Amino acid sequence: MTSNSQVAAQFSLRAVLALGAACVVVGFSLFPLYIMITTALKSESDIFSWPPTWTFEPTLQAFKNAFLLFGGQNVLVFLFNSVLITAASTVLAVGLGSMAAYALARFPFRGSKHLAFFILSTRFAPPVAFIVPIYLMFRSVGLIDTHLALILFYTSMNLSFVIWVLRGFFADIPIELEEAALVDGYTRWQVFLRIALPLVRPGLAATAILSAVFAWNEFLLANIITQRDAATIPVYLSGFSASMGIAWGEYMAVGFFAVAPIMIFTLFLQRHLVRGLTFGAVR
Amino acid sequence: MPRIEFDNVSKRYAPSSAAVENLSLTIEDGSFLCVLGPSGCGKSSTLRMLAGLESITEGEIRVDGKRYNELKAQSRDFAMVFENYALYPHLDVYGNLAMPLAARKMPRQEIARRVEEIANTLQISDQLRKKPRQLSGGQRQRVGLGRAIIRDTRTFLMDEPLGHLEAYLRQQLRTEIRRLHEELGATTFYITHDQEEAAAISDRIAVMSEGRLQQTGDLLTLLDNPVNRFVAEFIGNLPISILPASIASNAASPELSVGDARIPFSERRASEIADSTRVAAGRLEAGVRPDAVTLHEESARHRLPLRVSVVEPVGDMAVIVADGPAGRLRAAVPSDSAPSPGNSVHAEFDASRILLFDGDGRNILRKT
Ligand SMILES: Nc1ncnc2c1ncn2[C@@H]1O[C@H](COP(=O)(O)OP(=O)(O)OP(=O)(O)O)[C@@H](O)[C@H]1O
Ligand SMILES: [Mg+2]
Repeated sequence: MTSNSQVAAQFSLRAVLALGAACVVVGFSLFPLYIMITTALKSESDIFSWPPTWTFEPTLQAFKNAFLLFGGQNVLVFLFNSVLITAASTVLAVGLGSMAAYALARFPFRGSKHLAFFILSTRFAPPVAFIVPIYLMFRSVGLIDTHLALILFYTSMNLSFVIWVLRGFFADIPIELEEAALVDGYTRWQVFLRIALPLVRPGLAATAILSAVFAWNEFLLANIITQRDAATIPVYLSGFSASMGIAWGEYMAVGFFAVAPIMIFTLFLQRHLVRGLTFGAVR
Repeated sequence: MPRIEFDNVSKRYAPSSAAVENLSLTIEDGSFLCVLGPSGCGKSSTLRMLAGLESITEGEIRVDGKRYNELKAQSRDFAMVFENYALYPHLDVYGNLAMPLAARKMPRQEIARRVEEIANTLQISDQLRKKPRQLSGGQRQRVGLGRAIIRDTRTFLMDEPLGHLEAYLRQQLRTEIRRLHEELGATTFYITHDQEEAAAISDRIAVMSEGRLQQTGDLLTLLDNPVNRFVAEFIGNLPISILPASIASNAASPELSVGDARIPFSERRASEIADSTRVAAGRLEAGVRPDAVTLHEESARHRLPLRVSVVEPVGDMAVIVADGPAGRLRAAVPSDSAPSPGNSVHAEFDASRILLFDGDGRNILRKT
């Protein structure tokens, strides 16, 4: 009896501690987001009031202004650029990457292991090391300030790691499943689409999230090779402070647009990050 | 139904060692062949070459006389049951059963009708909406079988389809498989390492060892007329006893000596041996099945004296394990007349059922 209640007490103490720790971590992570959103909703006088006010009358003025900054250049244009470039480069990286990864996992040839490692190694250098050559290359083919330039660059940056990660996922699929489908009368390509791809869904989701986050947040190259037409949200945000002091409300409103889409995308894909899709396939 | 021929087929995964070597085997159209052999002897490799899942290193596989070596798996129109089920985990039972039909662009209603029909046959109708991971082993294996029989295939390839099931379920499903064979008459290539299952289910058994085909035939042939010592030892519910033997040529009538026993041989059997040029080569071994031995209390010239070591009850029979200077012998006797451990007994052999192997393990008394 005594030991039982002791165990129960220990257990609840542990639960309380765990819950407390979780609250601290979540609060710590969400607090900046809270500040960002509330600042965007505050009027200018509320923003600068000291001590900061916890209660205030929300206004959408900053959001309205954010749509019309830079002499009428709409934040939506930059948002559109970001979405287009992120979506295209993510689809390309995951699409091409899954095919390459499948080939590496299922059709080994002399040196295929070395090839896989070589592909990964293309990510070893810090991007800043090859920014200048990339810039020169894009300039010589007339791709400066185009969506295509960023799409190509982000695709190639993400491709290597997508291939590396998905190769492991494909290799983990019991080979009998694919053999069964071949014997059932499916072509290799159909086996890839109907058996292999659905079974690496968690891998697709994970690599899509990481690819998208990289493309969405990338600033260094975007800032150098885009000026207006293809500039993305991070470039836009950085332009803020330079052009007109800092309009905090508007800055935070744009920040909200910089964070919200990728968060929603990640939350949406997160439910695919499940383990054990192949349980029950063999044995 | 197709007729399948293996013509001198070899499979080497690495250049040095062969998983299958010079295999020649014909499966007549509509017949049910079981391949039997110890683990690692190349059964699966053989089947996978036939299925098109593994390349053929040497030789030719022909189906109805047509060379199949280069034909892709998806074009061979075989149905296969995998040892470890290989169900599609992201599809439910219905989806799994429908896959082979969908590959053939069958209309939806037709698919639904066939799936229902097969599910009824295999008693999995109430599982159609479950995913494979929610099924028991027996149910999974039924789905695997169902996926194979759902299209009108003319050839079945089954790699130990009942390997992971408990004895009761195995018996049930093997009856089911045999019934399906009677019904569909498809040519079937079936792997197992359970000889009782092989005998129950097949028309013909092929025994393999170390990549080589040893012998084909029905169970009785394999038991009474094995080609070599391997088949003799591998086949049979109770292990055969192998004892050193020699032909006593100085006696008036031909005699076989096994240890101290001098067993008279009929003239006919003696001449069979005399025909064999290999006897002179030296070592001879006699193989005696436990049911070809009787145990007696009195000694005699043609009986082998032994001491009982172990008595193993097997139903209403008992297997007596007895040792002597010549080696170990097993005899099956009725339980009520079984001697006790420590007793001395005199074993008498049924001379017509003694097998004789030469130094290379070949059965020199083999009737062809
Ligand atoms: N993919 C492979 N690569 C290399 N060696 C292999 C491969 N598959 C099988 N082997 C080898 O070939 C030999 C025959 O294997 P196989 O799978 O055909 O045996 P099996 O008779 O089916 O055995 P089991 O009863 O255990 O299933 C074994 O020695 C095995 O190690
Ligand atoms: Mg096998």
